[in-house]
Formats: sequence, structure tokens, C-alpha cells
Amino acid sequence: MLKPLACLFVALCLSGCETVQPWERGTLAKPGMQWQTDPMEISLQAQINASKEASSGGQGAAGGGCGCN
Amino acid sequence: MSGPADKRPTLLALTSSALLLPAYQGVRADAAPEFIELGMRYSKYEEDNTQGSKTFGGSSQRYDIDAAQFHLLAPVADNWAVAVDVQWEDMSGASPWFVGQSLDGGPKVIMSGASIEDTRTEVSVTTRYYYDRGNAGLNYVRSKEDDYDSNAIALDGSFNSADGMTTYSGAISTSRDDIEPTQGSVPTNTLKNDKDISSAWIGVSRIVSKNAIVRFGLAYTYREGFLTDPYKKNDKRPGERNEWAFSTGYRHYFFWPDGALQADYRYFDDDWGVASHTLNLAWHQNLWRDTQLIPFARYYSQGEADFFANIADTDKRYYADDYRLSSFGAVTVGLRVRQQIGNWAITAVGERYETDESWGVYSGDESPALVNYWRYSFGLDYVFR
Repeated sequence: MLKPLACLFVALCLSGCETVQPWERGTLAKPGMQWQTDPMEISLQAQINASKEASSGGQGAAGGGCGCN
Repeated sequence: MSGPADKRPTLLALTSSALLLPAYQGVRADAAPEFIELGMRYSKYEEDNTQGSKTFGGSSQRYDIDAAQFHLLAPVADNWAVAVDVQWEDMSGASPWFVGQSLDGGPKVIMSGASIEDTRTEVSVTTRYYYDRGNAGLNYVRSKEDDYDSNAIALDGSFNSADGMTTYSGAISTSRDDIEPTQGSVPTNTLKNDKDISSAWIGVSRIVSKNAIVRFGLAYTYREGFLTDPYKKNDKRPGERNEWAFSTGYRHYFFWPDGALQADYRYFDDDWGVASHTLNLAWHQNLWRDTQLIPFARYYSQGEADFFANIADTDKRYYADDYRLSSFGAVTVGLRVRQQIGNWAITAVGERYETDESWGVYSGDESPALVNYWRYSFGLDYVFR
């Protein structure tokens, strides 16, 4: 049930965008608009969360593990 | 309204850089770095002691970890860059060994007793090639501990649509992990073993408006081999695990008060019966020209694995009393501050993570071993302009 709803949600979001010309994209380059503003911080947070919870990943391929308890 | 016909020189400069801006951005934008960048972080991670009422033998200290991270990004040609990341950790403390039944019938945790000491060193090397409408990277990671050795390789790429409004991304990875538990204060459930992890991810991102961007991703991970925790007394898990994760993210910039909303959500599901929801929210506030104040919050809720029980039934095929496989909810709140001073940047972060079974959206027995922690980080970055 969730998967069809997720697909519909994605399709609606992607089709509902206005065309933004290249010279109108300056705001999108601001630091707060990046997907990862601090890669070292994101990496450490992901590692800690994965070592304390049963789920991990979702933002890329999984990579290797560690013996973190 | 501006258009191509009335572009001034300054606007042309902006246009040139904006043309390189992809809808999807990973660690770096599509344009290769122009300067060498160096970064370091020191982090202190401290878990709360396990409450005396939840343990046999009274209050028990849990993990303390010191972590140091180093990052180097260097252009090696016009369209080619290399990144090296090194992370070193020193950990000490005790972890839950098993859960037993107290005289009043409730579950209580037995800790591993003597303090565990371990260090971990991780080295990651990434080479990335930038082409007209995207980039591709190859990454190798080696992680080494006294009792754990992991080698992983990953390949990723992204490709922008002709109008630059949409970016399609993908990544694959594989790893081989070897486990050789340290024989110490508690007996382990294996002497030597291994596991393999394979993963694939696809993503699409899209510019929604002049000040908003959205992305979606789908990940699949397959684990095979020894997936049991070697240091847990009552732990025997299946030798395979299939995981799926759907994620979405949104960024919206507000001209007043010169800040950006960052929202990310992930739904996770696997064939062990675990499902989870994760919501991350952050507000990226610009103050003056060189200061950023970033409060953030995270909500996490997971449902327990099919074979989890507080008092494990060791007659079953699979069993575990590991709190990480139980149902619980977790809330993180924190603050990150970044100050730019010339070519230098100083970063400081503090966060608090708390768990409770009643905070989750899934029902289940509350594990007595749930963990709360504090984490502080301090960092310096330098760009060789």
C-alpha cells in the first residue's frame, strides 16, 4: 500500500515544478540549500545512529560495516 | 523579469556558475574543486549510565568514545579530484551482555562487566571525475578494529537533464567484513566469521522553484553471513537480510529571515520484521555574512524484529534480546554553529539523543538496555585559496 502511494507522491512532486532558468538559480547555491552541508558531520551522525538502531542507509549505497556497539 | 537578452556582465558570471549547479548534489557540486580543502573534527560521545533499577548489579557505565576525523579534498586536474578521509576512534566502557528476569518478573540487563577497550581506524579514498552534465566517483574504504576488519568499494554517478532541472543519480557498493571477537571478560558466540554486504541506490532530484528543491531515493541492501552480535549471550540471527529504504528530502530558502528549511524523511523496511520512520528537520540561519546557526531535530521510531524478545527463547531457531532490535522511539535535538574567518571555518556541534519505548509508533516490550547519549564536536576547515 505504501509503495504505490510513494510513487504517486513522487510523480506529483516532479510534475508540479516550475521551470527555473539557470540565471535564476543563485539562491539554490546557498550553503543551507545543499543536501549535505557538512560531510564529516553527516558521516559521524550516520555511523552513530546505525550502531544504536536497527535501520540504516537510504542516502546512497551502504558501504562496509564496523563492529560498533 | 530577467532573460538572456538583458544579461549584464555580473549576471553572466552568475549564469555561468549557475549552469554548473546540479539539482542533485552529493558531497560536492558538479564542478571540480578549484582549491585544496582541509578539515578536521574532534568528537566526544558519552552514553548515560544504565539505570540501577534496570540492571543486575546496580548502575553501570556504558560507552565513551573519542573520535577524530580528517578530510582532504584536492583537485588533481581540471575535471578530476581526489578526497582522502581518515577517522580514528578510541572507545571504552561496557555494553549489554544479555537480559534476564528479575524476582519481580521484569527484565533486567546484565552488562559485559569489565570495561571493553578498542580502537577503530577508517581510511576512505575517493576519486571523482566531473563531466559536462554530472560526475562519477570511485570509493574504497578500509575499517580496522581489534576484532573487525572491513573492506568496501563503491561506485556512484549523477547525470543532469539537458535543462539542469532534474538530476538522476545511482550508486552501488560491495564489502567484505571479517569478524574475530576479542576473547576477554565474556564468552563470545563465535571465534571467527565473516559477512558480505551488497547495496544499490537510485535517486532523482528536481528544482521545484527559484528557492526550493526536492529529492527522492530508493536503496536496497543485501547482507549475508554472520549477522549475529558476537558479544551477546542470547543472540542468533538469520544469515541473510534484505533491506529497503525510501527517502525524500526538501530544501526551501526564505529571503526573510535569510534562512533555509532542511527536511529529510526515510522509511525503512526489511525481512527481519523491522520497519522504521526517520524524520530530520534543521533550520539553517545565516547571521551577518560569515556566521551560520543551525538548530536541528530528529525523530526516529522502529518496530521490533520478529525474533526479538526481552527474555530470549533460546529454543527457537533465531532469537535476540538486543535492545537495538526492540521497538522504541528516539528524539535527537542539537545545535550546530559555523563561523567563517577568512580561509578558516570553525564548527561546533552539541546534540542529545534520548530513547523511550512509548515514543515510538510501533508497539512492543520496552528493553531495559535502551541508550541515551550526549555528543559534542569541534572542527576546523581551511581552504588554500
